Amino acid sequence: MTITFATPLLLFAMLALPILWLLLRAVPPAPIKRYFPGVILLLGLTDKIQTSDRTPWWLSLLRMLALGLIITGLAGPVLNPQNMPDKRGDLLILLDGGWASARDWKAHQTLLDQVLRQAENDARPVAILQLAIPQAPNFQNSKIWLGRLKSFQPQPWSPSATGMVEVLKTLGDQQFDSLWLSDGVAQPGRASLLSALNQRGEVKVIETRQPLFALEPAKLADGLITLHALRLETGHERAITLRVHSTDPGGQPQILTRVKATFDRDQKRIPVHIRLPTELRERVSHFDIEGQVGAAAVALTGNSLLRHEVALISDRQDHEGLELLSPLHFIKKAFSPTADVLTGQLTTLLPANPELVVLANIAKLSKAEDRNLTQWVNQGGLLLRFAGPKLAASDLSRDSVHPLMPVRLRAGGRTVGGAMSWGAPKSLAAFPPSSPFFGLEIPPDVRVSAQVLAQPDPLLSQRVIAALSDGTPLVTRKRLGSGQIVLFHVTANAEWSSLPLSGLFVQMLDRLSQSVATATSDAQALQGTIWKPEQTLTALGQLEPASRLPGVAGEELFSAPLSKELRPGLYSHVKESAARNVLSPDSELLPAEWPLGTNLHGLTEQSETPLGGWCLLLAIVALLIDVIATLGLTGQLASSTVVIGLMTLPSGTRTAEAQQQDDAVSQQAFLASSELTLAYIQTGDAQVDAVSKAGLEGLSQTLFARTSVEPATPVGLDLERDALVFYPLIYWPMTPNQTVPSQQAYHKLNAFMRSGGMILFDSRDGDITGYGAASPNGRQLQKITFGLDIPLLEAIPPDHVLTRTFYLMQDFPGRYTAPKIWVEAAPQAAQKVDGMPFRNLNDGVSPVVIGGNDWAAAWAQDAQGNPMFQVGRTSQDSHQRELAYRFGINLVMHVLTGNYKSDQVHVPALLDRLGQ
Amino acid sequence: MPGLLLRAHQLARGIVMGDHGRRRAGSGDDFWQYRPHYASESHRMIDWRQSAKTDEYYVREQEWKSAQTAQLWVDCGPSMQFSGASSRETKANQARLISLAASILLLRAGERVGLSDTTLAPRRGEQQIDRLAIRLAQSHTQDYAAPDIRGLLPHARAIFISDFMAPIKTITSALTRSADQGVSGVLLQIIDPVEAQFPFTGRTVFQSIGGELKHETLKANDLQTRYLDRLETRRTALIDLCRHTGWHYHRNLTDRPAQSALLWLYQALGEGQRAV
Repeated sequence: MTITFATPLLLFAMLALPILWLLLRAVPPAPIKRYFPGVILLLGLTDKIQTSDRTPWWLSLLRMLALGLIITGLAGPVLNPQNMPDKRGDLLILLDGGWASARDWKAHQTLLDQVLRQAENDARPVAILQLAIPQAPNFQNSKIWLGRLKSFQPQPWSPSATGMVEVLKTLGDQQFDSLWLSDGVAQPGRASLLSALNQRGEVKVIETRQPLFALEPAKLADGLITLHALRLETGHERAITLRVHSTDPGGQPQILTRVKATFDRDQKRIPVHIRLPTELRERVSHFDIEGQVGAAAVALTGNSLLRHEVALISDRQDHEGLELLSPLHFIKKAFSPTADVLTGQLTTLLPANPELVVLANIAKLSKAEDRNLTQWVNQGGLLLRFAGPKLAASDLSRDSVHPLMPVRLRAGGRTVGGAMSWGAPKSLAAFPPSSPFFGLEIPPDVRVSAQVLAQPDPLLSQRVIAALSDGTPLVTRKRLGSGQIVLFHVTANAEWSSLPLSGLFVQMLDRLSQSVATATSDAQALQGTIWKPEQTLTALGQLEPASRLPGVAGEELFSAPLSKELRPGLYSHVKESAARNVLSPDSELLPAEWPLGTNLHGLTEQSETPLGGWCLLLAIVALLIDVIATLGLTGQLASSTVVIGLMTLPSGTRTAEAQQQDDAVSQQAFLASSELTLAYIQTGDAQVDAVSKAGLEGLSQTLFARTSVEPATPVGLDLERDALVFYPLIYWPMTPNQTVPSQQAYHKLNAFMRSGGMILFDSRDGDITGYGAASPNGRQLQKITFGLDIPLLEAIPPDHVLTRTFYLMQDFPGRYTAPKIWVEAAPQAAQKVDGMPFRNLNDGVSPVVIGGNDWAAAWAQDAQGNPMFQVGRTSQDSHQRELAYRFGINLVMHVLTGNYKSDQVHVPALLDRLGQ
Repeated sequence: MPGLLLRAHQLARGIVMGDHGRRRAGSGDDFWQYRPHYASESHRMIDWRQSAKTDEYYVREQEWKSAQTAQLWVDCGPSMQFSGASSRETKANQARLISLAASILLLRAGERVGLSDTTLAPRRGEQQIDRLAIRLAQSHTQDYAAPDIRGLLPHARAIFISDFMAPIKTITSALTRSADQGVSGVLLQIIDPVEAQFPFTGRTVFQSIGGELKHETLKANDLQTRYLDRLETRRTALIDLCRHTGWHYHRNLTDRPAQSALLWLYQALGEGQRAV
């Protein structure tokens, strides 16, 4: 860390600071003016000491500090100045530019930029070489290189020894200085190139000091994923975090989990074990190290973590018990450690796209099954068939080779070594080199006592991959399209041979399944295949689609060193996919060793930072503190804070008001939800609202007295502000001047009605116009209900449940006695059944009841419980009011019990049955 | 003003009506004593009911009750309009409150209450409370005024309430002249705690409320002891003055309740009356 100044001479101004100190201390602070009645007693008192209060030392110090900062700031301090010694002559810049450089590429670029600018100032010709892409040096004006700087990108392979030799050849005899930006990883050929460069001029090597971590490909064994993490430098403990990436079922990339691992002091290579549920494991796309940039820190999985799916199909699906005799038992046991075993019907299993289908003792397949299976084999599936009594008895593949059989079969098969036959049970012959089983050791105790026999045929010898000691085929194979069909001429259980009981059986099945499914690094299995790159990994560790890259031969895919042609990434071959990673298993990372005397530097992250702005900012802060301190000293701080406080006050009170309002709303909601509460809509007309409130209070009182419904005090609702969901019944009187609710309020109202609430619309005009637009209230009703989601309505039918929820009634008078009120129409299908008093109707609560009888006025009671309004003619007053109350009670009951009373229609039928 | 009046009423209610009696026979409603009838006295004076019980003649004497005159002088000049903290009331306010409450008590006891200047002559009755309140609510413009005794009646009781920051000479002359007229009374000095402590530091310009007087100092804390000395001197001077003239002196700080000052005032008045 070094600091230089742009104009150091300005710092001499600091000399003036002590003088300023004396001056500041000499000038006293301004006097404070105070009103004080006792001043009369002070008259004539003189100060004993003539010097006044000095400015406090800390305040002076603060001011000096501010001034000092200003001077420093103006002098232009610069942290970490980058001064390159100026030189003449050509300059060759070498970049390693492999995957290991990716971790520090940004710093490389920054450094290159600086070097190039410096070179431009010095007018030096420059050549830049990326060793990963060897080419001849081309000395040009550094301005050209500056423009091309961004086009230099690290490559996902490392510079090779041959590449270095190539570069060496092109250097020529020219004299130049060199600057080598190295990634710090050992490479053969580095030393020879360095010595060649040394001969031509001065060499400066800059090596990145960023730690380098890398991952080897993941391996799956016994359900446990094992990865090895490597690092370049040892000597200190270091923890890393592995991220497991996958795609979720929706195809979105996600991080499944993070695993921590720790390198001990001297460890270079540590294993990391990850255990995941099978379903999750199969979705893993790659692993990487958190915080490490670069292709080497990414381990692609390809399908190496996939378990094969094996579909087992036998003829005896419905058979229970006798597990050991099941034709599939041994196969299941053999496959289950390494594969997912599916059992069931062929038609349901094929769409799951298993790698392998086992048909045990099945002769007959339906046409569709046959076709699907053939197609599946053609696409690369492995069909494994086992013989058995049924297969032997059938005519399958008798006259000609069946597409799904490898060979023709002779009728009947043969039995050897039984009571009724000649000879002893046969053992197995050694596997021929062309066989996939080649090399497996044959246990001496494996005996075959019965088998189906293949018809001798010109093609037969090619298709036999295992035979008995007497040369009869035991296992035959036929290729079909990209797939193959294998027939075991014995049963899959121990009936015909002891093969399924031996370990050999498992090994054979393993070989078979591997030969088709696994993209192993087994060069033999890959022989002759061409793998197409699907996605390649960039040096920065990102996958990008691989377009226009040629295919790679299978034998080279895993063994050849990475290069421009063979990039790390995902490759596919037919159905298989494989991943080529930067590191191969069991690899090693070694730090580069430079010969003694090499001019070696570390790449520092520190860049030039001008500090002038910060100094001035600090000075301003110091001066602000000074202002506050001075105000405080002269006693004016309080008044200043009052001013500032006053400026912020209005907003504070506003929020407090809003808070209060919110509290009130939630309080109301709390009350309404803790007890049944009737509600009315506030119309804005104080008179009408008061009547509504009094009316609902009267109704609540009546409900309380006569029923088990005990409502709380009714509330008035503001549609725009209040929540409606807590109220079962809302009374909505119409006034001509009511405002139409906002869109939001309509949403609330519709939601309210849909969730079982009821609104009682009251036009309060006695229905004189039949809901026409002639009455102002009617008009308003039309206007308001226009935005509501109101179902089809009908005039209340005589058998509506509202007529009998509590009281039996047919008229619904309020202050007026208009007969018609409107409710949700009954469904068309509802028909009256003979012998039933009413139709089975109204499954649910009518969301609206519309009328004009001004019920609230009829219900309204004053504080003493006396009716507030005259209802009807005097003589009938009490009767009509009584009917109004009964309507109200029926209404509340309807809302609360729904169609409960409608269910009563079944009572006669029930009683009838009980009677019998 | 109504607020002040209300508080004054409340304050006055806090004082339990104690012994108003003069403890001597005189004209009044309350019984004082029976004494034998002197021959020189008129027969009409004989209390026949008592005399009928014995052979002697008795005269019934009532307790002597005479309405006293109390005259107030409350300093409402600019210097009294001061409060050292926003939470405290001004000195003038407390002075008004105490004087009004005392007036209420006196008027209830049947005394005549007025102002010692010529603006309001002493009168009895509840009506006088309102008149007093109106007069007291007015602020004066004169800073550091001496008690105005132009309307003081001889042998009246005087109540002077002020911060007594005026030149001691003027106070002395007002008091001695009153005493010469046979007036006795009380001095109630009301002072703000700030004035009693002088908690100032630094370079300060002190200014009277009226703005007439100014004093600048470079180190206010340096003046503190000398100021407090002078304040104490003023106090002892007032106490001496009172002792010579038979008056009573009390100092109340505005951060203490008016109740205690009122209680003291009431008792001091009672004592003075007994001394008459």
